[in-house]
Amino acid sequence: MRPISGQMLLSTGVLLCIASSLSTIADASQQALHVKETVPILKAPEAFHEQLVLKPLNDGGAYSHFQFTTHIGTMMDEEHFDGAASNLFSHYNLFPRSIGQILHSFEVEELHLTFTQGRWQYSDWGYPLAPSVGTGVELWAWLNNNRLQAEGNWRGLTNTLSGLFCASLNFIDDTISIEPKLSFRNEGLYNVHSSKLSPSNTTSTTPRKLRYGSLPHENVCTENLTPWIKLLPCKSKSGIASLLKSHKLFDTRFYSMAIHVRPVCEDDKCKVKSLELVQTITTVFDVARQDGSYDWSLSSLFEREITQACPLASTSNIIVHLPQTTQFDKQYELTPMLPEGRYTIGSDENKQEIAVYDLKKAYSGDTSSSSEPFKLSMQWESSRPKSVQPISPGIVAHRYFTGYGQERGGLSIEIYNNDSQDVEAVLLDTLPWYLKLYLHTFTVHLNDQLLENYRDIVKKMYYQQAVDRARPAVLELALNLPSHSKIKFSISFDKVFLKYTEHPPDANRGFDIGYAVITVPLARQKGQIGYGSVDHLRIYQGRDASLVQSRRLSTQQQEGNDDDNETDKVRIYTETLLLSLPTPDFSMPYNVITLTCTVIALFFGSMFNLMTRNFEVVGSDKTKGKDKEKKDE
Amino acid sequence: MSTNVVPGGQKAANTPSNNVALVFGAAFALRLGLLNLPAFPSILADQVEISTPITSFKRLSEGVFLFRNGVPPYDGGVFHQAPLLLGLFYLIINSPPLVNALYILVDLAIGYMLLQITAIKERDSTSEKKIMQYGDKTEESGMSGLTVASLYLFNPFTIVSCIGKSTILFSNMAVVAGIWMGMKRNKGLAMFSIALATYLSFYPAMLMIPVVLMLTRGDIGKQQQKRISVQCGALFLACLISLFLLSFVLVDSWSFFSGVYGTILAVTDLTPNLGLLWYFFIEMFDHFRSFFLIVFQLHVFIFAVPVSIKLWKYPLFVSFILCAIMGTFKGYPSIGDAALYLGLLPLSSEIFKYMRYTFLVVNLFLYSSLLAPIFWYLWVYVGSGNANFFYAIGLVYGIGEIILMIDTTFAICRRDFEILSPPETSGDPASLGWDREVVQK
Repeated sequence: MRPISGQMLLSTGVLLCIASSLSTIADASQQALHVKETVPILKAPEAFHEQLVLKPLNDGGAYSHFQFTTHIGTMMDEEHFDGAASNLFSHYNLFPRSIGQILHSFEVEELHLTFTQGRWQYSDWGYPLAPSVGTGVELWAWLNNNRLQAEGNWRGLTNTLSGLFCASLNFIDDTISIEPKLSFRNEGLYNVHSSKLSPSNTTSTTPRKLRYGSLPHENVCTENLTPWIKLLPCKSKSGIASLLKSHKLFDTRFYSMAIHVRPVCEDDKCKVKSLELVQTITTVFDVARQDGSYDWSLSSLFEREITQACPLASTSNIIVHLPQTTQFDKQYELTPMLPEGRYTIGSDENKQEIAVYDLKKAYSGDTSSSSEPFKLSMQWESSRPKSVQPISPGIVAHRYFTGYGQERGGLSIEIYNNDSQDVEAVLLDTLPWYLKLYLHTFTVHLNDQLLENYRDIVKKMYYQQAVDRARPAVLELALNLPSHSKIKFSISFDKVFLKYTEHPPDANRGFDIGYAVITVPLARQKGQIGYGSVDHLRIYQGRDASLVQSRRLSTQQQEGNDDDNETDKVRIYTETLLLSLPTPDFSMPYNVITLTCTVIALFFGSMFNLMTRNFEVVGSDKTKGKDKEKKDE
Repeated sequence: MSTNVVPGGQKAANTPSNNVALVFGAAFALRLGLLNLPAFPSILADQVEISTPITSFKRLSEGVFLFRNGVPPYDGGVFHQAPLLLGLFYLIINSPPLVNALYILVDLAIGYMLLQITAIKERDSTSEKKIMQYGDKTEESGMSGLTVASLYLFNPFTIVSCIGKSTILFSNMAVVAGIWMGMKRNKGLAMFSIALATYLSFYPAMLMIPVVLMLTRGDIGKQQQKRISVQCGALFLACLISLFLLSFVLVDSWSFFSGVYGTILAVTDLTPNLGLLWYFFIEMFDHFRSFFLIVFQLHVFIFAVPVSIKLWKYPLFVSFILCAIMGTFKGYPSIGDAALYLGLLPLSSEIFKYMRYTFLVVNLFLYSSLLAPIFWYLWVYVGSGNANFFYAIGLVYGIGEIILMIDTTFAICRRDFEILSPPETSGDPASLGWDREVVQK
């Protein structure tokens, strides 16, 4: 009986959704507002958006960014709401049930999980659209700490996600979990679990806990992608997701996939709230590697084709960033080029031309055209797109080890500010306990000159000492980076000698040390693409731009700094490092135990002997007598 | 061996004091010169043979830095030294000359106290002339105080330990001060010093017993002895508790207990040193770790009572042997521990002639002192050696220490035997004196 009823439930859900998307997709928020008057407690205006952003990169690569957004909406009538979000997750149409249950049972308010393979080249590719590009796995979550169970919930969360995504997330235990004080602020706008309070003062009253952990050594592969695809309403059967072919996705220079869950407001006054699940896949294809040609098309990149939009999606767009050529326009050809789908966003030097393809429109109702695959291709007239404008990211950071030998070393972080103005930034560096940091060796160089007093650069410093086998060291700095400057932070450390069981099987390869994260507010003009934030989706959709603005405003009011509401917080990830620790001889346990114990026994035995026996002169009467006795025996 | 000793020769009174000034002046100048060499002190301070996790000056600086900036210093895995040390260096660490001066003066103070201890011991032994003579030979008097002090002050181990700014020096000073005060029969200061040494590095708690033996030596009644012992115990505890309270006031937390004594006893920091335990616990299977930890830590302490019972007549030697046991079997031994017991050894110089393996011991010490830094370099920097190289040198050094302890204990037992049953004055010359053949039964 059970599977049948489940199937029925699903099919009705899908039907319901299609109906709702057909009829009322025009303005979801208005619909929700309307519903509020009729249904007092709860209505879930679920919605699903899919989007693909394609961007030719300066080095000839093609950058693709898939973004799938699912909303599970609720209208929080403050008088009737029972405080727990149980009703929110009582019924699932589009929102993946596995994620909903995880959020519910571990009281997670915000969840950000990113799997990344490869390293993002900031100086070649600029800033990514995805919020996180740190190599390996990064997981951070805001947990409700009402019942002081955040630690247990965090453990449960990592273990459950580990099972869900077939990854080693369960290794994010206390020894590598941290609680940043300045970085990784919550991105959601209100607190689902305490909606009895008005949105303006939710942050101050609910005890919440941020937990952050990363696994730099984690490899990302198909087994992680498959469960990720399963979270999508259309899976990879139709719509943009049908392009996701693991064989091609992992054959790239950079691959990153993520899920972000956060609570958001659906209207200006935050009367209608919803939980947003954003799934992203970011890849950088090396287009020219195959045949030397920089031309690409959807089918050449993904070896798949889109034959229809996802029927469950409210919007389904493909957006192409047109190359910013410095000379005459006709260096490339994008086909098909729709005159109505061409916009210019941003202004001044940040201007960006985009071409938008609405798949919903392309496949709307017409059954004959739906069998025709959507074709998109970019062709360059010359063999190499030379004349594109160079990218100069405002802030670039690098990190490296100094020193030699396996006893001690140094860590240096270099931050370049190419901007013409000072930038406030936050640096977060997490180092595992097997690096013993010496904070008194911390130095700051400004443009290669040692600063005696670095108060002007380092405004605030938060330092957590590592405890052996218990927790990592955390160094968090609130910085003021002067314009056109290079700041170098150095600190020295000792390498810890680990027990032989604590070494990985390939001990001489070394240990991966995770990236440092620099959170920088990048000034943005109205309508400009928001890098490093999933909000940019809304900006593309035009009508939601004001919504993003209002959200940002309310966030900043909560944080208490509403002076610079025109900024995006971009997180810049540095390189991960490989640390080689001194190794013992792994074949020696028995030898060492035997030899050490022998030496100790040598002392004990001799000392025992000396303490218990007395001297006698050889040949004296006593000894002779005893010898005789012995012989007699 | 003892060129300065002129027994019975009451020459010009100012010659010995001139010599004292010369020795101490030379020791002072040597240390000052070495401390002011560029890079040399920091190279020494980075040597694992000199600085251990619980005595490293670098870690002390880190602790002071954290304390100064409001980070609880014991809430982490770097700083494991006593809070009062933190307080002391909090005041002076910003002035390197002051820190250097403190190290030099403490080292010289140890030398001075050894000089004084020898003087008291000589006074004691002249009142007990019968020990000086046996058979038909007169035992030579021991080394003079100045020789003992110079042997300490110019011992390379002492010098590098001082230049490397190992904080074991302060613990050593407390130990020697305790012995001095014990010899001077000053209960209060003796117990305070031993409590301070215990507070700084825990193991010297054992020295309670020999110091009480010193305080109760001579012709005093059983009742008196008991009374003094009980008083000493109370004084020791009172001093220790007040030191702990003072520390609590300073750092405003009891976390220093686990930070300092937890690290000493549980051997959690497995940074290599000249001891036997680091590699043992790196290689040990996890489920046996606690068993061996308990056994090895007990092993350090179990000798205190039997040695004190057997050799109760020689409290100075008992202090030496207990310091040597500590310096060999503790979790984080360093050159500084060797400097202490090698400094205490000449106090019992009368036993030297009964020792059998002096040459071997000296060679083992030389061999390990030379090869330890080389093998360390081969393992950690060049990569052409592995951990076993350094461990092997640690074993050789440990064997050297063990043979030294066994040999000296044998020698003092042998001397004790000679005193109790002096050889007959007539008879076979081969059986005369200390080279006659004996056997242990």
